[in-house]
Amino acid sequence: MIEVKELTKRYGNKTAVDRISFSAGAGEILGILGPNGAGKTSTMRMLTGFMPPTDGSATLDGFDIVADSMEVRRRVGYMPERVPLYPDMTVEEYVRFWAKLRGVRRPQKSIEAVLDRVQLLDRRRSLVRSLSKGLKQRLGLAQTLVHNPKVIILDEPTIGIDPQQVIEVRAAVRDLAHNHTVLFSTHILSEAEQVCDRVIILNQGRIVAEGTPAELRQKLYPGDSVFVQIGGVGHAKPEKTLRGINGVKQVQKLAGGYALEAVAGRDIRADVVKRIQQAGWTLLELRPVAVTLEDIFLKIVSREDAEEQAE
Amino acid sequence: MNGVGVIFWREMRGYFTSPYAYLIAAAFLLLAGFFFVSNLWLSVEQTPADPAAIPEFLSFGMIFFAPLLTMRMLAEETREGTMELLLTAPVSDSAIIIGKFLSAWGFYTILLGITASYQIILVNIGAFPDLGKAVAAYIGIWLYGGACLSVGLVYSALTDSQIVAGFLSMATLFLLYLGDNIGLIVADVELARLLRTLTLQGHFSTSFAVGIFRAEDVVFFAGLITAMLFIAIRIVESRRWR
Repeated sequence: MIEVKELTKRYGNKTAVDRISFSAGAGEILGILGPNGAGKTSTMRMLTGFMPPTDGSATLDGFDIVADSMEVRRRVGYMPERVPLYPDMTVEEYVRFWAKLRGVRRPQKSIEAVLDRVQLLDRRRSLVRSLSKGLKQRLGLAQTLVHNPKVIILDEPTIGIDPQQVIEVRAAVRDLAHNHTVLFSTHILSEAEQVCDRVIILNQGRIVAEGTPAELRQKLYPGDSVFVQIGGVGHAKPEKTLRGINGVKQVQKLAGGYALEAVAGRDIRADVVKRIQQAGWTLLELRPVAVTLEDIFLKIVSREDAEEQAE
Repeated sequence: MNGVGVIFWREMRGYFTSPYAYLIAAAFLLLAGFFFVSNLWLSVEQTPADPAAIPEFLSFGMIFFAPLLTMRMLAEETREGTMELLLTAPVSDSAIIIGKFLSAWGFYTILLGITASYQIILVNIGAFPDLGKAVAAYIGIWLYGGACLSVGLVYSALTDSQIVAGFLSMATLFLLYLGDNIGLIVADVELARLLRTLTLQGHFSTSFAVGIFRAEDVVFFAGLITAMLFIAIRIVESRRWR
C-alpha cells in the first residue's frame, strides 16, 4: 500500500530525511519511532503531499506522491501533530467541511458514522472551541477518517492528552487496521509495542532499525535487566560482587541502586537474592527494568558511532 | 475548479458567525451613512445630491476596511496549523486562494449593496440623483474594492501574524492611493501621467467617480486582482518548497 524508495528531504544544507526506504502492506500498522528532529514529521509531510521530496520517490496505493498528488491526497487521511481546528465551527460543520473538500458525495451519512465512531455524536452541535483537549484529539481523528481513506497518517496522536484518553486513542488506532493502512509516529516505545505491527526507528533522517517491536527488543536486548536496591552495605563496594554473580553480563550504577543486565535467556533473580544475603546486605528492592526507546535508541546510536570509528 | 465553492462558503459562514465581521460591517455602514447624510445636508442649498458620495468615501475607506477583511484569511490558517490540512486536501492551491478571495469580495459586495439602498432614499425624497453616474461609481468602487482585497490577501499569505499582514497591506494600499501625489513634485509631465496610471486613484477619481466608464480602468483593476492572486498562490505554493 505504501512504497517508499530512497526518499530524501533537504532544507538548505540540512538533510532532514536521508534516503529512507520502507513499505507497508494493506491493513498494517507501521510505527515510525525516533527522537524529536529525527525526520518523522518530514517523512509524513512528504507522503501526504504537503511538500515534495528533494529526491527519491514514494507511491501510495500505486499513485506517485509527486506526479499524482491529487489522487494520493484523496486516499490519505492525515492528522498533524498539532490538531488543526477551526474554533468557531461546530463539531458537525468542521467534519462536513473536510468531507466536502475531499469530495465525499452525500456526506451526511459518513459524517454521522464517523462522529459516532469517535463518540462525538452527542456533541455535534457544540463549538469546537468548547471541547476538551481529548475530545479535540478525537475530532481530529474524525476529520482523518471521514472520507474513508485507504491510508491513515497520524503524527504523534497521543501527545498532550491524559492517560485514559491515550488508551482510547491507541484502541481506536488498533481498530482502524481492519480497513486501513496506518502510519503512526511516536517516541514512546511501549506505545509502539501495543499498537504497531512493525516499527522503523529513525535517527538523524536515516532508518537505523526495522522490525516488529519484539524482534527489536530481542536483537538489541536479548537478556532481561533487573534493578536492585541494597541496604546495609556500609563502605563496601557492591559492584564487583554483583558482577561476579552467575549470568550477569553488565552492572550499571544508578541513583539509589544498580541495574544488572543478564545474559540472554537467563533468569538471574534467584542468584542475585542469594548472593546479596550471603554478603550480609539487605535487599530493599528488586524489579525488572522495562527496556525503553531511550535504551534501544542509545544502544543503536552508540553502536553506529563505534562502527564509524572502526572504519 | 474543485473546492473553490467549499472554501468560499466556509469563509462566508466565517464572516457571518463572527462578531468581529459584524463590528467591521457596523463601522463600514456607520461611516458610509455619515458621508451620505453630510452630502445630503450640503445638497439642501448648494449642490445637487451626489450619488458618488459613498463610492468616493470608500475609495479612501477601503484602505482600512480591505486589510481588516482579509488579514485573517491565510495568516490564521498558518498559525492554527489548518493550512497543513488544507494543503494536503485534494484541492489545488489556486482553488484555496480564489475561494477565499471571492468570499472576501462577496462580503464586501453585500456591504456595498446595503449602501446602494441610499440611492433609493435619494429618489424617494425627490433629489433625483444622476443614475448613470451612480451605476458607474458603484461598478468602479466594486472593482476598486476587489483590487484592495486582493492586495490584502497577498500579505495574509506572506505572514502568520494578522497584525503584520494588516499593517503591511494598509501601508501598501495607502501608497497605491496617494501615489499620484508624487506627480505633483515630478517636473516631467509625461512621467507624472505615467505614475498616475499606476495608482488606484488614477483609475477612479477622474473616471468612475464622475460617471465615466472606461475599459482601461476595468482592465487595470481586473489586472491588479489577477496579478495579486497569482502572487498569493505562488506564496502558498512556495511553502511546499521551503
